Amino acid sequence: MASANSNVQMTGLDFQDIKSNMIRFMQGQDTFKDYNFSGSGLSVLMDILAYNTQYNAYYLNMVANEMFLDTALQRSSVVSQSKVLGYIPKSSISPTATINVTVYGVTQSSLTLDKFTPLISRAIDGVNYTFLTDDTLTVNTQSGTALFENVIIKQGTPSKYSFVVSTASNPKCIFEIPDVNIDTSSLTVSIQQSSVNTNTEVFQLATTHLTLDGTSKVYFLQEGLSGNYEVYFGNGVLGQKLMDGNIVRVSYISTKGTAAHGANNFSLIQGIGGYANTTIVSVTAATNGNEKETIESIKYQAPKSFSSQNRAVTKDDYITVIQQNQLGLTFDAVNVWGGEENDVPVFGQVFICLKPAGAYNITETQKQRLIQEVIKPISVMTVSPTIVNPDYTYLKLNINVIYDPNKTTQTSAQIESGIKSAIYGFANATLNTFNSTFNSYELMKTVQDYSNSIITSEYDLKLQKKFFPSLVTPSTYKLYYNTPLDKGMFLSGVSSSPSIQFRDPSNLVNIIDGIYVEELPSPTNGVESISMLNPGSQYQSVPTITILGDGTGAKAHAILSGGSIKNVVIDAAGSGYTAAIVNITPQPGDTTGKLAAGVVNLQGKFGTLRTYYNNTSQVKTTFNQNVGVIDYMNGIITLNSFSPIGIDNPLGQFTVTVKPTTSIISSSYNRIITIDPYDANAVTVNVIAKS
Amino acid sequence: MATLKKIYSDLDLTFTRNPVTGDVSMSYDEQSVIRSVRNLLMTNFYERPFQPTLGSNLNAFLFEQISAITASSIETEIKNVVNNFEPRVSIDNVEVVAIEDANAFYVNLSFYIGNNTSPSEVNILLERTR
Repeated sequence: MASANSNVQMTGLDFQDIKSNMIRFMQGQDTFKDYNFSGSGLSVLMDILAYNTQYNAYYLNMVANEMFLDTALQRSSVVSQSKVLGYIPKSSISPTATINVTVYGVTQSSLTLDKFTPLISRAIDGVNYTFLTDDTLTVNTQSGTALFENVIIKQGTPSKYSFVVSTASNPKCIFEIPDVNIDTSSLTVSIQQSSVNTNTEVFQLATTHLTLDGTSKVYFLQEGLSGNYEVYFGNGVLGQKLMDGNIVRVSYISTKGTAAHGANNFSLIQGIGGYANTTIVSVTAATNGNEKETIESIKYQAPKSFSSQNRAVTKDDYITVIQQNQLGLTFDAVNVWGGEENDVPVFGQVFICLKPAGAYNITETQKQRLIQEVIKPISVMTVSPTIVNPDYTYLKLNINVIYDPNKTTQTSAQIESGIKSAIYGFANATLNTFNSTFNSYELMKTVQDYSNSIITSEYDLKLQKKFFPSLVTPSTYKLYYNTPLDKGMFLSGVSSSPSIQFRDPSNLVNIIDGIYVEELPSPTNGVESISMLNPGSQYQSVPTITILGDGTGAKAHAILSGGSIKNVVIDAAGSGYTAAIVNITPQPGDTTGKLAAGVVNLQGKFGTLRTYYNNTSQVKTTFNQNVGVIDYMNGIITLNSFSPIGIDNPLGQFTVTVKPTTSIISSSYNRIITIDPYDANAVTVNVIAKS
Repeated sequence: MATLKKIYSDLDLTFTRNPVTGDVSMSYDEQSVIRSVRNLLMTNFYERPFQPTLGSNLNAFLFEQISAITASSIETEIKNVVNNFEPRVSIDNVEVVAIEDANAFYVNLSFYIGNNTSPSEVNILLERTR
């Protein structure tokens, strides 16, 4: 039992702890003796004091938590801590799409497409999204037609606010933009002299403080306590100071973030320059949007931003500055490595590989802007940055599942779609980024955990490469699977889809459709080795080894040890074998040697790829005997002078599927393993009820 | 009446001053216990922090029908609170009388303190103020 104490212990945080400490203190005196009885006046007073102490202790604890970036929970505290580190939390970012706009019947020599011209997308989940042009564009008219190419449009609605500078009512001259959906990369800030003098100047966002002086026309941006962004200006030393009566005008795009990803098929809400006869072609669907930065993300990014000190030197510096770009580009994953790590080392270069949000690759223009506006200004002068596209390897999974229908209320179709979405969730969580590894155990666990009714399951894994062959120029394509490939067997070797068209070389006017690529086991295969199944016994002399098969020239001899065959040595590999067996015959007169048996292993590091089609009589016909090479050991497929003239795919995408020898598939450098969410056949699930 | 001498000592919640010492006045022994019982009766559930069951819910009964049944419930409530929270006391008798005309209950609680042979008493008139 605790002893009486003449000092009050004030260490507890709980009401009961605090009250027991007080009771222990009361035990040390004899003026008041009723401290242990609930109804006593002393007990009432102790309750009030303990409650007050507990309240203050809790409050102080929370205050202390909010004082540090690691423990802060309130957004305003996290933002405030990150401000000390020079970090501005990222706003929502508008998804961006590209379109070509053609206007017909134009009578002027040139036509202008205004900034913020509104367009409307086809509905996504029942919602039509408004998109706006990013800039003002002017083109010359040709034969009454004006063509605006690669017009960048952003999702959102235009918003504007104006504030009058008054040091009396707003002494700090901080102006809050009351819109949580603002895309700050679209923010334009201009200052009008006064309501009488309408002279207006555009101010730029201050990105560095080194070059600022009292006349720099810059504004500063921060997230305020309310979670809205705030604009403020210089003090006359760092940036131009505003005067009373100046009018601050802000305009920006208010966006719905990632909800509009994938939007395409746009139409204009009104004509352009009074011309209503227009057509719009989507070049790229809306991608690259993002939601307002979360508290967790700020906690993660702010210290990294601070440690890079606005310089790109180390690998992490590059990753941080790219993730924080103010160009409105967002990335699911960024990988950076030095050129000296390449297979063929390239010194003095930094390679950067980017996986953009909601898309596969970024455009060349975006690459140039990233290098020129984001990386170059802060990178080491002698190091040249190079942005490479990710090299995607797609997994094609076929899952077979047997389930017990008595243990579930779900139909087999429901189980099938449920497993499919669980697998896509697995892919999003463990793949889809750089330096990831496909974990077959996790995959099977995902399938198995989907429902208790699943008795057993198995999977079959294939790898796919997808590319866009040129339909004009014959080109060589190298597909790196980065894992050893299975040698072709029936239905499991290399296959391609969709069907392609070639010109008939014997008559170039003819076009042959329905052509596919397949693997041809190498006709020059020889014998690599012979493995012994049984060494046999009691051989008196070395038996004769005969190799029989569809090839010719293979020779071998046996090495005998203690009456058994210790080893078989290949003397000549021969050629042209696709199948072979070995006969081991005792020498004439050897009456006791018996039972030796072996199996022939054929060579085959490389294979050939050929194209075939079914002719008018539906007979499989070879179109081209040799279109490329397959390197089984290194997992590389090379298509030489590949010159299709048509592909039966609306996007012109060509897929080559292979079977790997192993299910341990890893990615590094610019490689990403993923399951294609746009390919309905990427995951097939066969669900069978146990009878 | 035989009086126990200063076994119990408590603060007086009226916080009146001792006219001689000027210090806050105290209550002792029988007086201290009677005040404690009275405090318990006048405390509602959830009134004391982190001790929701401490007290008796007499307030709630004042909004019930004035009847012998309610009076009986009050009687049980009083017995419960005293038995649960005031170990110094053993109840002799609880008498609750419903006074319909005055819209009030008259409570007379007599109890023994410790080994004291003569009972102490608490008399309260429970009455709605609104």
